[in-house]
Amino acid sequence: MTPEQAAGKAAQDVRQDRPARSRRAPWSLKELMLVVVLGVVFGFLYWALVQGWIAFAAVTGPFGDLTQHVLLGGWLIVAPVAVAIIQRPGAGVVAEVLASVIEVVFLGSAVGPLLFVAAAIQGAGSELPFALTRYRSYSWFTYALSGGLGAFAVFFFSAFRSGWYGTDLFWTRLAIQVVSGVVLGGLLAKVVVDALVRTGVVDSFAVGRTASR
Amino acid sequence: MSVLQPDALALASPLARRNPTVKLALLFVVSAVLLLVLDPMTPAVLYVLVAGAVLLGAGVRPRALLVAQLPFVAFALGVLLVNMLSRPGEVVWQGAGLRVTAEGLWVGAGLAGRTLLMGLLSVAFVATTDGVALVTSLHQHARLGAKVTFAVLAGYRLLQQMGAEWQTIRRAQSVRAPLGRRGRPRVGLRGHAASAFALLVGSVRRGDRVAGTLELRGLGDGERTTWRPVPLDRKDAVFAVVVLGVLGLVLVGASAAGVLEGPGALF
Amino acid sequence: MTGSGLAVTTSSGLAVTTGPGLAGITLSGVTVTYPRRDRPSLRGVDLHVAAGERVVVLGPSGAGKSTLLHLVAGLVPHSTPAEVEGTLVLGGDEEHLDLSSPVHERSALLGVVGQDPSASVCLPQVDAELALVLENRAVPPAQIGPRVGAALEQVGVGDLAQRQTARLSGGQTQRVALAAAVIGRPGLLLLDEPTSMLDASGVRAVRAAIEEVARDASLTVLLVEHRLDDYAGEAGLDGLPGRAVVLDADGTVVADGPTAQVLREHAAALHALGCWLPLEAELTALSGKVGDLASGAHDQLLAGLVPCDAAPRPVSAETGVRSVLLRAHGLAVGHGRQTVLDGLDLDVRAGQVVAVLGENGTGKSTLLHALAGLARPLAGTVSGQRPGMVFQNPEHQLVAHTVADEIAHGLADPAPTVDRMLREHRLEHCADRNPHQLSGGEKRRLSLAAMLAHGRDVLLADEPTFGLDRRDTMVVADALRSVADAGGAVVFSTHDLRLAAEVADEVVVVGRGRVLASGSTHDVLSDAAVLDGAGLELPAIVRWFVERCSSTAALQSALQALGRHPVAGSGALEPAPATSAGVRA
Repeated sequence: MTPEQAAGKAAQDVRQDRPARSRRAPWSLKELMLVVVLGVVFGFLYWALVQGWIAFAAVTGPFGDLTQHVLLGGWLIVAPVAVAIIQRPGAGVVAEVLASVIEVVFLGSAVGPLLFVAAAIQGAGSELPFALTRYRSYSWFTYALSGGLGAFAVFFFSAFRSGWYGTDLFWTRLAIQVVSGVVLGGLLAKVVVDALVRTGVVDSFAVGRTASR
Repeated sequence: MSVLQPDALALASPLARRNPTVKLALLFVVSAVLLLVLDPMTPAVLYVLVAGAVLLGAGVRPRALLVAQLPFVAFALGVLLVNMLSRPGEVVWQGAGLRVTAEGLWVGAGLAGRTLLMGLLSVAFVATTDGVALVTSLHQHARLGAKVTFAVLAGYRLLQQMGAEWQTIRRAQSVRAPLGRRGRPRVGLRGHAASAFALLVGSVRRGDRVAGTLELRGLGDGERTTWRPVPLDRKDAVFAVVVLGVLGLVLVGASAAGVLEGPGALF
Repeated sequence: MTGSGLAVTTSSGLAVTTGPGLAGITLSGVTVTYPRRDRPSLRGVDLHVAAGERVVVLGPSGAGKSTLLHLVAGLVPHSTPAEVEGTLVLGGDEEHLDLSSPVHERSALLGVVGQDPSASVCLPQVDAELALVLENRAVPPAQIGPRVGAALEQVGVGDLAQRQTARLSGGQTQRVALAAAVIGRPGLLLLDEPTSMLDASGVRAVRAAIEEVARDASLTVLLVEHRLDDYAGEAGLDGLPGRAVVLDADGTVVADGPTAQVLREHAAALHALGCWLPLEAELTALSGKVGDLASGAHDQLLAGLVPCDAAPRPVSAETGVRSVLLRAHGLAVGHGRQTVLDGLDLDVRAGQVVAVLGENGTGKSTLLHALAGLARPLAGTVSGQRPGMVFQNPEHQLVAHTVADEIAHGLADPAPTVDRMLREHRLEHCADRNPHQLSGGEKRRLSLAAMLAHGRDVLLADEPTFGLDRRDTMVVADALRSVADAGGAVVFSTHDLRLAAEVADEVVVVGRGRVLASGSTHDVLSDAAVLDGAGLELPAIVRWFVERCSSTAALQSALQALGRHPVAGSGALEPAPATSAGVRA
């Protein structure tokens, strides 16, 4: 294709309402900014939630430790939301890692840099169901699977880090965590994404293009 | 917003002058190594050493340091309790339907100690590192892309505004909320969810505008310069060597003393 | 291509020469349609702006003025997808950019200032924000520092280099954004309503900065501004750019020529469309005569609006002393432990509208929050029924997924009330739409409707007409007035002194931590010393009426009559052929 033809085609793409970038093109600044915003908003909300929860956990004594498994779903929600809006490989992982970076660096969270590893694992687990359906299926089941897998995957890393192996509560923890993942990290994510699409604020992203068709 | 914000004193200290990427990398390595350590002695020794280094080299006041570690103390106590009560092994004490085991105590103490140690390291890092400098340094030294770097920095700016924005939204939505018993607006789960959603929508919209502004400032992946580069010098190399060396020494010492235990202790 | 330009290589390797003679814009037959809309936002726009020209784009809300700027900047269609027909050429004859050029390629040629201060500045520190532009151009670090300092000096914020952007006022933020826009020495400066979200002193400061920046004759400036009355200020028509382009509600260019001429010829039509016009143009629209206020050309019209004897408001004629609906006593408000405003005593009576005036940061919003029971006062008490409140940003109050549900939120028996509110506030056509998709004016009406549906006695409003065009402002003013007329009371804060004079019975002026004045509108506004002390500037037309009316009721009546006065001559705009390139400013 000669330069003139390429320019002409580019102009045509621009004129028509067609995604001018394939999934292999580098991320646009707009998409990056969206993922950052998701990380910041959910990080902020999670931080605020945790502040309140620390008090609650302290009150419930030793089994307050189990409440972290209930909360985990809230931490997972960033990944499916990002994947559903941007519909690119890696969106889930990037969203989770950025959220954890913001938690550690700007919010001074209590966990430290291993959170990045946990986040990456969560993101990968959450993204897998969407990747397997080639980013085309956004049903309740896919979301639920995403949340469940994310929670499941990160459980084993956290189990190692916090020494849950060999305790009586190991399977209880896993069960609570996976349920939390499915509900808070999966189903709730679909509710949020659908509501966002209805407001029209994500129209210029991939989800807006597919929704209008 | 963090529990221990870097203040002027901490940022002038020797620890603060070290390159943030190096500090982050060290923090990462040390945490990863510590993941494999499960006895209570090694973390205790390391804790004392690190606390000393922090008090001397980070310009953090002792009281502030203690306060900042409180959440970790709570977490560590929780870990200890859970392990004491729910890890099978040789029973040491029994009563009221609960039992405490020796293994539980040992492993619990190890995990708790490790939690406190990693907490201290984390606190020290946050206190002596400016977030902006860290991200810039990652861009310079860790090859983090320009677009990602500045998107994250712009995100930081959004975060600064978010507390006030959240309060405004909460107030705006309380106006029509039904009144509770004491005459104050009753906020349920629904109320908080609606406010959270409003915050999300507003932030996404603002993020789009910020992305446009950044693009119009010429942000791209091409050639660029850095006005005030974050320094990376020999002192950082020395720092890294010292930290890793101390860690290695303590591990070797613990192993020689027969105290060191690895992940096998869990099973 | 002239050789005197400054050669800059953008990051993509495109060599663009900025400088004299190379930053023109040419649009031919441009039509822009957004994906979910059935009507185009811009229709067949032909526009040629030569290098160095200064152009202001006028039109009612929704006319596509911002779309035009975004098209030139490249945000449409690269960031916001849209169908674009026609051609666009930026720059000069040889090296030029067109529709297909992405934003990043155009960035060397452009400087843009947007309307939302919170999105105009992206980084945590001011000097880093400016340095970013130069860093992106690969300017040697040694040159960056001095250029940053020079740019900040130029816009008047030289001492803010080390400041955290989170602590800047609106006016300061916009000036920093302006500095960042010009530091790269662009050929084209795009200003998208840069002062619409600022208070009076912010508007003045930003305007002065823009004038300073525009001294560079080679800079082409394209300005979209809807509050032309504020923007022009005391300078009147001379304060506006030399050439005006008018878009009508369909997005077509209907007038294009020297600003004074365009405003004279089309004043009536623009006024009817709901645009804010500089005072001179507004008076011309209403009286049909040409000349500014001082010239006396409009005296006949204006004098006719001043009532001979002021009839007091109907409600107050009935009872001598009206009941107090809301009482604040010894009220002190602030943030944390810091007091922002102290010693406020206020009795809000039935049928009254009270305006709270003062500069930004004087505690007006905090005061309203305390009166609404949303913030605990630092001292003093607030007693009375629970007031309703509409916030500065209507989006903050949205909770439902459809407009009808939004109005029904919190109501016990919604159906009849919702229907009535939809009708009264003209929202029937969007009853099933998602509230976030409404236009600015519609959202504002919705937040009012949703609050009024609760039927509370007192309504508080924080800047209820912020960012609205003239027609929507009148709708809001009418709504506030009708709440009071129905026996309720209204307390609102505003920067628009004309609105305050038109609608409010009582005025409270706050500043420097205390109440500077309070009393009937006419009394307070005639006290020049108080207004000066509070940093408020009385618009010329309000001053004119204040001097000639003897009471608040007369003042209100006169201003309301002015706002509703029919235009002189026909109100229809005919599409005018595009005139040749306008005057070089």
